[in-house]
Amino acid sequence: MLDFTRFFVEIYPARWAILEGVGMTLVISFLSIVLGTILGIGVALSLVYGGRVQRFAVRAFLEYVRGTPVFVLILACYYLLSQLVQLTPFQAGLIALTVFCSSHVGENLRGALLALPRGQTEAAKAIGLTFRQTFVYVLAPQALRQALPAWINTASELVKASTLLSVIGVVELMLTTRQIIARNFMSLEFYCLAGIIYFLISFSIERLGRRVERRIALPS
Amino acid sequence: MFETLRKTLTGLTAAAALTAIAAPAAMAQEKSLLDDILARGKLIVGTGSTNAPWHFKDESGNLVGFDIDIAKMIAMGLFKDPNKIEFVEQSSDARIPNVTTGKVDITCQFMTVTAERAQQVAVTIPYYREGVGLLMKAGGKYKSYDDLKKAGSGAVISVLQNVYAEDMVHAALPDAKVDQYESVDLMYQALSSGQADAAATDQSSVKWFIVQQPGQYIDAGYAWGPQSYSCAVKRGDQQWLNFVNTVLHEAMTGVDFATYAGSFKKWFGVELPQPAIGFPVEYK
Repeated sequence: MLDFTRFFVEIYPARWAILEGVGMTLVISFLSIVLGTILGIGVALSLVYGGRVQRFAVRAFLEYVRGTPVFVLILACYYLLSQLVQLTPFQAGLIALTVFCSSHVGENLRGALLALPRGQTEAAKAIGLTFRQTFVYVLAPQALRQALPAWINTASELVKASTLLSVIGVVELMLTTRQIIARNFMSLEFYCLAGIIYFLISFSIERLGRRVERRIALPS
Repeated sequence: MFETLRKTLTGLTAAAALTAIAAPAAMAQEKSLLDDILARGKLIVGTGSTNAPWHFKDESGNLVGFDIDIAKMIAMGLFKDPNKIEFVEQSSDARIPNVTTGKVDITCQFMTVTAERAQQVAVTIPYYREGVGLLMKAGGKYKSYDDLKKAGSGAVISVLQNVYAEDMVHAALPDAKVDQYESVDLMYQALSSGQADAAATDQSSVKWFIVQQPGQYIDAGYAWGPQSYSCAVKRGDQQWLNFVNTVLHEAMTGVDFATYAGSFKKWFGVELPQPAIGFPVEYK
Protein backbone atom coordinates (compact mmCIF):
# COMPACT_ATOMS: atom_id res chain seq x y z
CA MET A 1 0.00 0.00 0.00
CA LEU A 2 2.78 2.44 0.88
CA ASP A 3 4.65 3.44 -2.22
CA PHE A 4 8.07 4.44 -0.97
CA THR A 5 9.73 5.25 -4.28
CA ARG A 6 6.97 7.68 -5.18
CA PHE A 7 6.98 8.99 -1.64
CA PHE A 8 10.61 10.03 -1.92
CA VAL A 9 9.99 11.54 -5.34
CA GLU A 10 7.14 13.60 -3.87
CA ILE A 11 8.85 14.54 -0.63
CA TYR A 12 11.75 16.31 -2.31
CA PRO A 13 9.78 19.20 -3.85
CA ALA A 14 7.74 19.42 -0.64
CA ARG A 15 10.78 19.73 1.64
CA TRP A 16 10.64 23.52 2.12
CA ALA A 17 6.90 23.50 2.65
CA ILE A 18 7.30 20.84 5.34
CA LEU A 19 10.13 22.73 7.01
CA GLU A 20 8.10 25.93 6.99
CA GLY A 21 5.16 24.03 8.46
CA VAL A 22 7.35 22.62 11.23
CA GLY A 23 8.75 26.11 11.77
CA MET A 24 5.28 27.60 12.16
CA THR A 25 4.24 24.82 14.55
CA LEU A 26 7.35 25.41 16.68
CA VAL A 27 7.10 29.21 16.64
CA ILE A 28 3.44 29.41 17.59
CA SER A 29 3.80 26.66 20.21
CA PHE A 30 6.88 28.28 21.72
CA LEU A 31 5.36 31.76 21.84
CA SER A 32 2.12 30.53 23.37
CA ILE A 33 4.04 28.49 25.98
CA VAL A 34 6.15 31.51 26.97
CA LEU A 35 3.27 34.00 27.01
CA GLY A 36 0.88 31.47 28.52
CA THR A 37 3.34 30.72 31.32
CA ILE A 38 3.75 34.41 32.18
CA LEU A 39 -0.02 34.86 32.18
CA GLY A 40 -0.39 31.59 34.08
CA ILE A 41 1.90 32.78 36.88
CA GLY A 42 -0.34 35.84 37.17
CA VAL A 43 -3.38 33.58 37.30
CA ALA A 44 -1.86 31.42 40.05
CA LEU A 45 -0.80 34.45 42.12
CA SER A 46 -4.28 35.95 41.82
CA LEU A 47 -5.88 32.69 42.88
CA VAL A 48 -3.65 32.17 45.90
CA TYR A 49 -3.00 35.72 47.11
CA GLY A 50 -5.64 37.84 45.40
CA GLY A 51 -8.54 39.60 47.09
CA ARG A 52 -12.06 38.22 47.00
CA VAL A 53 -13.11 40.02 43.79
CA GLN A 54 -9.88 39.26 41.97
CA ARG A 55 -10.06 35.60 42.98
CA PHE A 56 -13.63 35.36 41.79
CA ALA A 57 -12.92 37.00 38.44
CA VAL A 58 -9.86 34.86 37.73
CA ARG A 59 -11.66 31.71 38.87
CA ALA A 60 -14.55 32.48 36.49
CA PHE A 61 -12.11 33.02 33.61
CA LEU A 62 -10.31 29.78 34.44
CA GLU A 63 -13.46 27.69 34.67
CA TYR A 64 -14.71 29.11 31.40
CA VAL A 65 -11.46 28.38 29.54
CA ARG A 66 -10.99 24.93 31.05
CA GLY A 67 -14.58 24.01 30.34
CA THR A 68 -14.28 24.94 26.66
CA PRO A 69 -12.67 22.77 23.98
CA VAL A 70 -9.53 24.38 22.52
CA PHE A 71 -11.20 24.18 19.15
CA VAL A 72 -14.06 26.40 20.30
CA LEU A 73 -11.56 28.74 21.94
CA ILE A 74 -9.75 29.14 18.63
CA LEU A 75 -12.93 29.87 16.69
CA ALA A 76 -14.05 32.31 19.40
CA CYS A 77 -10.76 34.20 19.23
CA TYR A 78 -10.93 34.38 15.46
CA TYR A 79 -14.58 35.28 15.01
CA LEU A 80 -15.85 36.82 18.27
CA LEU A 81 -12.81 39.05 18.84
CA SER A 82 -13.13 40.22 15.25
CA GLN A 83 -16.19 42.17 16.38
CA LEU A 84 -13.75 44.41 18.25
CA VAL A 85 -10.56 44.20 16.24
CA GLN A 86 -9.65 42.32 13.04
CA LEU A 87 -7.04 39.72 13.95
CA THR A 88 -4.99 37.70 11.52
CA PRO A 89 -5.27 33.92 11.87
CA PHE A 90 -1.81 33.87 13.48
CA GLN A 91 -2.72 36.49 16.09
CA ALA A 92 -6.06 34.89 16.89
CA GLY A 93 -4.42 31.47 17.14
CA LEU A 94 -1.67 32.75 19.40
CA ILE A 95 -4.20 34.36 21.75
CA ALA A 96 -6.28 31.18 21.90
CA LEU A 97 -3.30 28.93 22.68
CA THR A 98 -1.87 31.43 25.17
CA VAL A 99 -5.14 31.57 27.07
CA PHE A 100 -5.40 27.78 26.98
CA CYS A 101 -1.82 27.43 28.25
CA SER A 102 -2.31 30.02 31.00
CA SER A 103 -5.30 28.16 32.40
CA HIS A 104 -3.30 24.97 32.74
CA VAL A 105 -0.16 26.62 34.10
CA GLY A 106 -2.24 28.71 36.48
CA GLU A 107 -4.09 25.75 37.92
CA ASN A 108 -0.95 23.62 38.28
CA LEU A 109 1.03 26.36 39.91
CA ARG A 110 -1.79 27.17 42.29
CA GLY A 111 -1.78 23.56 43.39
CA ALA A 112 1.99 23.63 43.85
CA LEU A 113 1.85 26.84 45.89
CA LEU A 114 -0.90 25.52 48.14
CA ALA A 115 1.02 22.30 48.71
CA LEU A 116 3.84 24.20 50.42
CA PRO A 117 3.62 24.01 54.20
CA ARG A 118 2.26 27.23 55.78
CA GLY A 119 5.15 27.17 58.21
CA GLN A 120 7.50 28.37 55.49
CA THR A 121 5.56 31.59 54.87
CA GLU A 122 5.38 32.13 58.61
CA ALA A 123 9.10 31.51 59.03
CA ALA A 124 9.86 33.93 56.19
CA LYS A 125 7.71 36.56 57.86
CA ALA A 126 9.45 35.92 61.15
CA ILE A 127 12.86 36.66 59.72
CA GLY A 128 11.49 39.88 58.19
CA LEU A 129 11.16 39.03 54.51
CA THR A 130 8.68 41.10 52.52
CA PHE A 131 5.97 39.28 50.54
CA ARG A 132 7.95 39.80 47.35
CA GLN A 133 11.11 38.33 48.89
CA THR A 134 9.17 35.46 50.40
CA PHE A 135 7.73 34.59 47.04
CA VAL A 136 10.90 34.98 45.00
CA TYR A 137 13.35 33.28 47.39
CA VAL A 138 11.25 30.82 49.35
CA LEU A 139 8.02 29.83 47.65
CA ALA A 140 8.61 30.18 43.90
CA PRO A 141 11.68 27.92 43.63
CA GLN A 142 9.88 25.09 45.39
CA ALA A 143 6.54 25.57 43.65
CA LEU A 144 8.10 25.77 40.19
CA ARG A 145 10.00 22.57 40.87
CA GLN A 146 6.74 20.94 41.89
CA ALA A 147 4.89 22.22 38.85
CA LEU A 148 7.57 21.35 36.31
CA PRO A 149 6.36 17.86 35.26
CA ALA A 150 2.84 19.16 34.67
CA TRP A 151 4.27 22.14 32.81
CA ILE A 152 6.17 19.88 30.41
CA ASN A 153 3.00 17.95 29.83
CA THR A 154 1.18 21.21 29.02
CA ALA A 155 3.91 22.15 26.56
CA SER A 156 3.57 18.96 24.55
CA GLU A 157 -0.21 19.27 24.82
CA LEU A 158 0.09 22.70 23.18
CA VAL A 159 2.12 21.39 20.26
CA LYS A 160 -0.68 18.94 19.59
CA ALA A 161 -3.37 21.59 20.07
CA SER A 162 -1.64 23.77 17.47
CA THR A 163 -2.87 21.33 14.77
CA LEU A 164 -6.34 22.79 15.31
CA LEU A 165 -5.15 26.16 14.06
CA SER A 166 -5.26 24.79 10.52
CA VAL A 167 -9.02 25.41 10.63
CA ILE A 168 -8.61 29.17 10.75
CA GLY A 169 -5.84 29.08 8.15
CA VAL A 170 -2.57 29.11 10.09
CA VAL A 171 -0.27 27.17 7.78
CA GLU A 172 1.35 24.94 10.37
CA LEU A 173 2.50 21.36 9.85
CA MET A 174 -1.01 19.88 9.70
CA LEU A 175 -2.31 22.26 7.03
CA THR A 176 0.97 21.95 5.12
CA THR A 177 0.52 18.18 5.10
CA ARG A 178 -3.03 18.49 3.80
CA GLN A 179 -1.84 20.89 1.10
CA ILE A 180 0.77 18.39 -0.05
CA ILE A 181 -1.76 15.55 -0.07
CA ALA A 182 -4.15 17.70 -2.11
CA ARG A 183 -1.46 17.78 -4.79
CA ASN A 184 -0.34 14.14 -4.88
CA PHE A 185 -3.13 12.21 -3.09
CA MET A 186 -0.57 10.28 -0.98
CA SER A 187 -2.59 10.63 2.21
CA LEU A 188 -1.31 7.59 4.08
CA GLU A 189 2.37 8.38 3.52
CA PHE A 190 2.26 12.07 4.33
CA TYR A 191 -0.03 11.73 7.36
CA CYS A 192 2.44 9.12 8.69
CA LEU A 193 5.27 11.58 8.15
CA ALA A 194 3.37 14.30 10.01
CA GLY A 195 2.69 11.85 12.84
CA ILE A 196 6.37 11.00 13.12
CA ILE A 197 7.36 14.69 13.17
CA TYR A 198 4.80 15.48 15.88
CA PHE A 199 6.05 12.54 17.90
CA LEU A 200 9.64 13.74 17.58
CA ILE A 201 8.72 17.24 18.74
CA SER A 202 6.76 15.96 21.75
CA PHE A 203 9.43 13.43 22.58
CA SER A 204 12.15 16.11 22.48
CA ILE A 205 10.13 18.32 24.82
CA GLU A 206 9.69 15.38 27.17
CA ARG A 207 13.45 14.56 27.15
CA LEU A 208 14.40 18.17 27.61
CA GLY A 209 11.99 18.42 30.52
CA ARG A 210 13.44 15.34 32.20
CA ARG A 211 16.90 16.77 31.84
CA VAL A 212 15.87 20.08 33.42
CA GLU A 213 14.11 18.17 36.20
CA ARG A 214 17.31 16.28 37.00
CA ARG A 215 19.38 19.44 36.85
CA ILE A 216 17.26 21.31 39.36
CA ALA A 217 16.44 18.37 41.60
CA LEU A 218 17.32 18.94 45.24
CA PRO A 219 20.14 16.74 46.46
CA SER A 220 18.58 14.06 48.60
CA MET B 1 -48.99 78.51 24.66
CA PHE B 2 -50.96 76.62 22.00
CA GLU B 3 -49.24 78.70 19.37
CA THR B 4 -45.82 77.52 20.62
CA LEU B 5 -46.95 73.91 20.71
CA ARG B 6 -48.35 74.17 17.19
CA LYS B 7 -45.10 75.68 15.93
CA THR B 8 -43.05 72.98 17.63
CA LEU B 9 -45.19 70.27 16.10
CA THR B 10 -44.92 71.80 12.65
CA GLY B 11 -41.19 72.00 13.12
CA LEU B 12 -40.99 68.37 14.15
CA THR B 13 -43.08 67.25 11.19
CA ALA B 14 -40.89 69.20 8.84
CA ALA B 15 -37.77 67.71 10.40
CA ALA B 16 -39.20 64.20 10.08
CA ALA B 17 -40.09 64.82 6.45
CA LEU B 18 -36.61 66.13 5.76
CA THR B 19 -35.00 63.10 7.37
CA ALA B 20 -37.18 60.84 5.26
CA ILE B 21 -36.02 62.59 2.12
CA ALA B 22 -32.40 62.82 3.20
CA ALA B 23 -32.03 59.20 4.32
CA PRO B 24 -32.08 57.51 0.88
CA ALA B 25 -29.78 60.21 -0.44
CA ALA B 26 -27.31 59.52 2.36
CA MET B 27 -27.50 55.80 1.66
CA ALA B 28 -26.73 56.32 -2.00
CA GLN B 29 -23.58 58.21 -1.01
CA GLU B 30 -22.56 55.59 1.54
CA LYS B 31 -19.17 54.12 0.82
CA SER B 32 -19.09 50.69 -0.69
CA LEU B 33 -16.47 48.06 0.10
CA LEU B 34 -15.44 48.65 -3.50
CA ASP B 35 -14.10 52.09 -2.55
CA ASP B 36 -12.30 50.71 0.49
CA ILE B 37 -10.61 48.03 -1.60
CA LEU B 38 -9.51 50.55 -4.22
CA ALA B 39 -8.14 52.81 -1.49
CA ARG B 40 -6.40 49.90 0.22
CA GLY B 41 -4.71 48.86 -3.00
CA LYS B 42 -5.22 45.13 -2.60
CA LEU B 43 -8.05 42.62 -2.60
CA ILE B 44 -8.46 40.24 0.35
CA VAL B 45 -9.72 36.90 -0.90
CA GLY B 46 -10.78 33.94 1.20
CA THR B 47 -10.04 30.59 -0.40
CA GLY B 48 -8.79 27.11 0.41
CA SER B 49 -5.45 25.47 -0.22
CA THR B 50 -6.23 21.76 -0.23
CA ASN B 51 -8.37 21.02 -3.30
CA ALA B 52 -6.93 20.61 -6.78
CA PRO B 53 -7.69 21.94 -9.34
CA TRP B 54 -9.63 24.64 -7.51
CA HIS B 55 -7.19 26.02 -4.95
CA PHE B 56 -3.99 24.26 -3.96
CA LYS B 57 -0.25 24.78 -3.50
CA ASP B 58 1.98 23.98 -6.43
CA GLU B 59 5.44 22.53 -5.85
CA SER B 60 6.97 25.98 -5.35
CA GLY B 61 4.39 26.76 -2.70
CA ASN B 62 2.27 29.16 -4.74
CA LEU B 63 -1.48 29.09 -4.45
CA VAL B 64 -2.87 28.05 -7.85
CA GLY B 65 -6.09 26.73 -9.36
CA PHE B 66 -9.29 27.83 -11.04
CA ASP B 67 -10.63 29.68 -7.97
CA ILE B 68 -7.30 31.49 -7.71
CA ASP B 69 -7.50 32.53 -11.37
CA ILE B 70 -11.03 33.86 -10.82
CA ALA B 71 -9.74 35.92 -7.87
CA LYS B 72 -6.90 37.21 -10.04
CA MET B 73 -9.38 38.29 -12.72
CA ILE B 74 -11.22 40.35 -10.09
CA ALA B 75 -7.93 41.91 -8.91
CA MET B 76 -7.05 42.62 -12.53
CA GLY B 77 -10.36 44.43 -12.91
CA LEU B 78 -9.70 46.48 -9.79
CA PHE B 79 -6.03 47.38 -10.12
CA LYS B 80 -4.92 46.26 -13.59
CA ASP B 81 -2.65 43.90 -11.65
CA PRO B 82 -3.69 40.30 -10.98
CA ASN B 83 -1.25 39.97 -8.08
CA LYS B 84 -2.57 42.70 -5.80
CA ILE B 85 -4.27 40.08 -3.68
CA GLU B 86 -3.89 38.88 -0.12
CA PHE B 87 -5.18 35.32 0.14
CA VAL B 88 -6.63 34.14 3.43
CA GLU B 89 -6.34 30.34 3.45
CA GLN B 90 -9.55 29.13 5.00
CA SER B 91 -11.30 25.81 5.51
CA SER B 92 -14.57 25.15 3.70
CA ASP B 93 -16.49 25.77 6.94
CA ALA B 94 -15.04 29.28 7.08
CA ARG B 95 -16.32 30.38 3.68
CA ILE B 96 -19.46 32.10 4.95
CA PRO B 97 -18.35 33.31 8.42
CA ASN B 98 -15.20 34.91 7.01
CA VAL B 99 -17.36 36.96 4.64
CA THR B 100 -20.00 37.93 7.19
CA THR B 101 -17.43 38.97 9.82
CA GLY B 102 -15.46 41.03 7.30
CA LYS B 103 -12.30 38.90 7.45
CA VAL B 104 -12.24 38.84 3.66
CA ASP B 105 -13.69 41.01 0.88
CA ILE B 106 -14.84 38.00 -1.08
CA THR B 107 -14.79 34.21 -0.91
CA CYS B 108 -13.85 32.31 -4.07
CA GLN B 109 -13.79 28.68 -2.93
CA PHE B 110 -15.90 26.30 -5.07
CA MET B 111 -19.00 27.28 -3.16
CA THR B 112 -22.16 25.51 -4.26
CA VAL B 113 -25.01 27.98 -4.47
CA THR B 114 -28.03 27.08 -2.38
CA ALA B 115 -31.02 29.15 -1.31
CA GLU B 116 -29.95 28.73 2.34
CA ARG B 117 -26.51 30.17 1.65
CA ALA B 118 -28.00 33.04 -0.33
CA GLN B 119 -29.78 34.11 2.85
CA GLN B 120 -26.46 34.51 4.67
CA VAL B 121 -24.25 35.99 1.98
CA ALA B 122 -24.76 37.61 -1.39
CA VAL B 123 -23.76 35.16 -4.12
CA THR B 124 -22.32 36.32 -7.42
CA ILE B 125 -23.20 34.94 -10.81
CA PRO B 126 -21.84 31.38 -11.22
CA TYR B 127 -18.45 30.87 -12.86
CA TYR B 128 -18.59 27.08 -13.17
CA ARG B 129 -21.21 24.35 -13.24
CA GLU B 130 -20.08 21.32 -11.27
CA GLY B 131 -21.54 17.83 -11.62
CA VAL B 132 -20.63 14.19 -11.10
CA GLY B 133 -18.55 12.62 -13.85
CA LEU B 134 -17.04 9.21 -14.57
CA LEU B 135 -13.31 8.67 -14.96
CA MET B 136 -12.21 5.58 -16.88
CA LYS B 137 -8.91 4.06 -17.94
CA ALA B 138 -8.00 4.62 -21.57
CA GLY B 139 -8.18 1.34 -23.51
CA GLY B 140 -10.20 -0.39 -20.80
CA LYS B 141 -13.07 -2.83 -21.06
CA TYR B 142 -15.64 -0.07 -21.47
CA LYS B 143 -15.29 2.91 -23.77
CA SER B 144 -18.08 5.23 -22.70
CA TYR B 145 -20.99 5.89 -20.42
CA ASP B 146 -23.29 3.90 -22.75
CA ASP B 147 -21.05 0.83 -22.43
CA LEU B 148 -21.17 1.11 -18.63
CA LYS B 149 -24.93 1.43 -18.69
CA LYS B 150 -25.28 -1.60 -20.98
CA ALA B 151 -23.01 -3.64 -18.69
CA GLY B 152 -25.60 -3.20 -15.91
CA SER B 153 -24.55 -4.94 -12.72
CA GLY B 154 -21.29 -5.99 -14.39
CA ALA B 155 -19.87 -2.48 -14.08
CA VAL B 156 -18.02 -1.66 -10.87
CA ILE B 157 -17.85 2.00 -9.87
CA SER B 158 -15.47 3.28 -7.19
CA VAL B 159 -16.61 6.29 -5.22
CA LEU B 160 -15.57 8.29 -2.16
CA GLN B 161 -17.40 7.03 0.90
CA ASN B 162 -20.44 9.08 1.86
CA VAL B 163 -24.06 8.59 2.80
CA TYR B 164 -25.41 9.47 -0.63
CA ALA B 165 -22.71 7.71 -2.66
CA GLU B 166 -24.86 4.71 -3.63
CA ASP B 167 -27.83 6.84 -4.71
CA MET B 168 -25.55 9.27 -6.50
CA VAL B 169 -24.06 6.57 -8.73
CA HIS B 170 -27.39 4.80 -9.26
CA ALA B 171 -28.93 8.04 -10.53
CA ALA B 172 -26.81 7.57 -13.66
CA LEU B 173 -26.08 3.83 -13.60
CA PRO B 174 -29.09 2.18 -11.90
CA ASP B 175 -27.65 -1.36 -11.81
CA ALA B 176 -23.93 -0.75 -11.34
CA LYS B 177 -22.06 -2.22 -8.38
CA VAL B 178 -20.82 0.58 -6.10
CA ASP B 179 -17.56 0.22 -4.16
CA GLN B 180 -17.00 2.92 -1.56
CA TYR B 181 -13.49 3.99 -0.54
CA GLU B 182 -12.33 5.99 2.47
CA SER B 183 -10.08 8.39 0.63
CA VAL B 184 -9.63 9.90 -2.80
CA ASP B 185 -6.31 8.17 -3.40
CA LEU B 186 -7.80 4.74 -2.65
CA MET B 187 -10.72 5.49 -4.97
CA TYR B 188 -8.33 6.29 -7.82
CA GLN B 189 -6.15 3.32 -6.94
CA ALA B 190 -9.15 1.00 -7.38
CA LEU B 191 -9.52 2.35 -10.90
CA SER B 192 -5.85 2.16 -11.86
CA SER B 193 -5.49 -1.39 -10.48
CA GLY B 194 -8.59 -2.53 -12.41
CA GLN B 195 -10.73 -3.29 -9.36
CA ALA B 196 -13.19 -0.70 -10.62
CA ASP B 197 -14.27 0.09 -14.18
CA ALA B 198 -14.87 3.75 -13.46
CA ALA B 199 -14.49 6.24 -10.62
CA ALA B 200 -17.44 8.54 -9.96
CA THR B 201 -16.29 11.92 -8.70
CA ASP B 202 -16.68 15.64 -9.37
CA GLN B 203 -16.54 16.40 -13.08
CA SER B 204 -13.81 18.96 -12.37
CA SER B 205 -11.68 16.29 -10.66
CA VAL B 206 -12.21 13.95 -13.62
CA LYS B 207 -10.99 16.65 -16.01
CA TRP B 208 -8.04 17.57 -13.77
CA PHE B 209 -6.96 13.93 -13.46
CA ILE B 210 -6.92 13.60 -17.24
CA VAL B 211 -4.96 16.86 -17.59
CA GLN B 212 -2.35 15.59 -15.13
CA GLN B 213 -1.92 12.17 -16.70
CA PRO B 214 -2.51 12.71 -20.40
CA GLY B 215 -3.39 9.67 -22.49
CA GLN B 216 -3.95 7.32 -19.57
CA TYR B 217 -7.50 8.20 -18.61
CA ILE B 218 -10.71 9.26 -20.32
CA ASP B 219 -13.93 10.98 -19.37
CA ALA B 220 -16.91 8.63 -19.89
CA GLY B 221 -18.73 11.57 -21.43
CA TYR B 222 -21.71 11.91 -19.17
CA ALA B 223 -22.15 14.10 -16.12
CA TRP B 224 -25.15 14.64 -13.88
CA GLY B 225 -26.19 16.39 -10.66
CA PRO B 226 -25.69 20.07 -11.56
CA GLN B 227 -24.40 22.55 -8.97
CA SER B 228 -23.46 26.19 -9.50
CA TYR B 229 -20.17 27.51 -8.15
CA SER B 230 -20.17 31.19 -7.21
CA CYS B 231 -18.14 33.66 -5.20
CA ALA B 232 -19.75 35.22 -2.14
CA VAL B 233 -19.67 38.73 -0.70
CA LYS B 234 -21.29 40.37 2.29
CA ARG B 235 -24.99 41.06 2.00
CA GLY B 236 -26.17 44.63 1.57
CA ASP B 237 -23.39 46.02 -0.61
CA GLN B 238 -24.94 46.12 -4.04
CA GLN B 239 -22.12 48.17 -5.60
CA TRP B 240 -19.43 45.66 -4.72
CA LEU B 241 -21.63 42.73 -5.78
CA ASN B 242 -22.36 44.44 -9.11
CA PHE B 243 -18.69 45.05 -9.70
CA VAL B 244 -17.75 41.40 -9.15
CA ASN B 245 -20.68 40.23 -11.28
CA THR B 246 -19.56 42.52 -14.08
CA VAL B 247 -16.00 41.17 -13.94
CA LEU B 248 -17.20 37.55 -13.97
CA HIS B 249 -19.73 38.19 -16.71
CA GLU B 250 -17.21 39.87 -18.99
CA ALA B 251 -14.68 37.11 -18.27
CA MET B 252 -17.15 34.51 -19.51
CA THR B 253 -18.70 36.45 -22.39
CA GLY B 254 -16.77 39.65 -23.09
CA VAL B 255 -13.37 41.35 -23.21
CA ASP B 256 -11.71 39.02 -20.72
CA PHE B 257 -12.92 35.81 -22.33
CA ALA B 258 -9.40 34.85 -23.41
CA THR B 259 -8.16 34.91 -19.80
CA TYR B 260 -11.11 32.85 -18.56
CA ALA B 261 -10.87 30.37 -21.42
CA GLY B 262 -7.10 30.05 -20.93
CA SER B 263 -7.59 29.20 -17.28
CA PHE B 264 -10.41 26.77 -18.11
CA LYS B 265 -8.16 24.98 -20.59
CA LYS B 266 -5.29 24.86 -18.07
CA TRP B 267 -7.27 23.23 -15.26
CA PHE B 268 -9.97 21.28 -17.09
CA GLY B 269 -8.27 20.60 -20.41
CA VAL B 270 -11.29 21.84 -22.32
CA GLU B 271 -11.21 24.41 -25.12
CA LEU B 272 -14.20 26.70 -24.72
CA PRO B 273 -15.99 27.94 -27.86
CA GLN B 274 -15.83 31.69 -28.28
CA PRO B 275 -19.07 33.51 -27.42
CA ALA B 276 -21.02 34.23 -30.61
CA ILE B 277 -20.41 37.72 -31.97
CA GLY B 278 -23.49 39.78 -32.69
CA PHE B 279 -26.57 39.07 -30.65
CA PRO B 280 -25.55 38.76 -26.93
CA VAL B 281 -25.19 35.09 -25.93
CA GLU B 282 -27.14 35.57 -22.70
CA TYR B 283 -30.44 36.09 -24.59
CA LYS B 284 -30.18 33.28 -27.08
